[in-house]
Amino acid sequence: MSGWLAGKRARIEGEGAAVTTAIEAAGAVLVADGEGDCDIWVHIAPHSEIKRAHEIGHSEWRASLDAGLDRRFLGAQKFAAECRARGQGGAVLFVGAPEQALGADHAAAAGALGNLTKTLGVEWARDGIRVNSILTRTSEETLGHLAAYLVSDYAAYVTGAVMGIDLDD
Amino acid sequence: MPIPAHHIVATPPPFDAPPYPADIFADQTVLVTGGGSGMGLAMAKAFAQGGADVAVLGRNLDRARDGAEQIAALGTRAHAISCDVRNPDAVAAAFDEAEEVLGPIGLLANNAGANFPILAEDISRNAWNAVTRIAIDGTFLCSSEFARRRIARGEGGAIVNNSAQYIWTGFPGDAHSAAAKTAQATMTKRLAADWAPYGIRVNAIAAGFFAHADSVSGRREDGVEPLQAMIPAGRTGSIWEFGWLSAMTCTPFFGEMTGQVIVQDGGESLRRSLIMPNFIPPRERADGPWGWQ
Repeated sequence: MSGWLAGKRARIEGEGAAVTTAIEAAGAVLVADGEGDCDIWVHIAPHSEIKRAHEIGHSEWRASLDAGLDRRFLGAQKFAAECRARGQGGAVLFVGAPEQALGADHAAAAGALGNLTKTLGVEWARDGIRVNSILTRTSEETLGHLAAYLVSDYAAYVTGAVMGIDLDD
Repeated sequence: MPIPAHHIVATPPPFDAPPYPADIFADQTVLVTGGGSGMGLAMAKAFAQGGADVAVLGRNLDRARDGAEQIAALGTRAHAISCDVRNPDAVAAAFDEAEEVLGPIGLLANNAGANFPILAEDISRNAWNAVTRIAIDGTFLCSSEFARRRIARGEGGAIVNNSAQYIWTGFPGDAHSAAAKTAQATMTKRLAADWAPYGIRVNAIAAGFFAHADSVSGRREDGVEPLQAMIPAGRTGSIWEFGWLSAMTCTPFFGEMTGQVIVQDGGESLRRSLIMPNFIPPRERADGPWGWQ
């Protein structure tokens, strides 16, 4: 996989060792926010606390939706604008937990994200910008490899796809 | 309509730059149903690029042999076998022959299928049985034969199924394949659950338009150019990128992945607007049940 992302610049938002390690191992240069153009934007959402719906306060609900949905949309929007300004395609990848893995806050955010992925994948297809999601409970090697593959040119015909890894995903 | 010059079309690396090393499947044998041509041949070549020996199953032995020759040219062993995957005895015999010639089958690609545009009311019992049973019974029979052998050996394995982009939406003008391809995808998840304890992984690729000489799209008089323009990605798929993704799911790179159905269609199945051209029933389409055939 060392050549998958040779010559690519990637910005990763959020914490995820497997994804970050694999994207670097695949040859991409990591770029911090504000440090210049990139070909790849990956957003890894933190897992919100699992609570029963009637025990989730509105501020917690909002924080979960902000991290799991709003921030992802706004980040993708900014990345896509940068790609268009440069006249280049790009790849967006959202990483998070499956819809029913956590609480109702996450169920709402992840469902919204799934259909957002499908929407943006088509809306930006002719900008050469692909948008995909991995919703999984696992955080190990396969996640990293799958992430690196999806943002590489090998997945040039994969866009608007939402997938998991494990049986429970 | 050509793709406007200011649109950007994402393209894959060329065929001779596969995403995995040439020995990723070294000392392994893959059995590919319908492997003599089209998408099955693309799967077979992708496995061969990773060093797997390939058993090519086909109903037509000459076609399977043609495919096997192309696969062998990539530097691995290939063996063609005539088999009707709807017949459990024929499937068992084909596995026997393949294992005798090439060694234990540790990888399986279920690709065998038939498809053609037709109105639902015109589908004969024979046509319905052929299309649904090759895909549904064939995938089940080959997968279960594979799994019994792996379980008996105490070894895991990986299966990849060739499904289609229209499995979640229906496909008016193609009822037989709409049913068949969804069954493959939903059984993928259940087979994966049943065989996870044995280390056997099962995944599927829901493939979009990958035009080739034997596909409905590949045989169009107008060629594939009009199809390119209708697909959000701006092109039909390159058949080797389908082969690669299929084979990738069977590599240790994706070693934890199972029960997944990955859509690879350039966004085609998602291309929908609230306002669209007038709906014309498949029966009334001037250019056939698919609208262009």
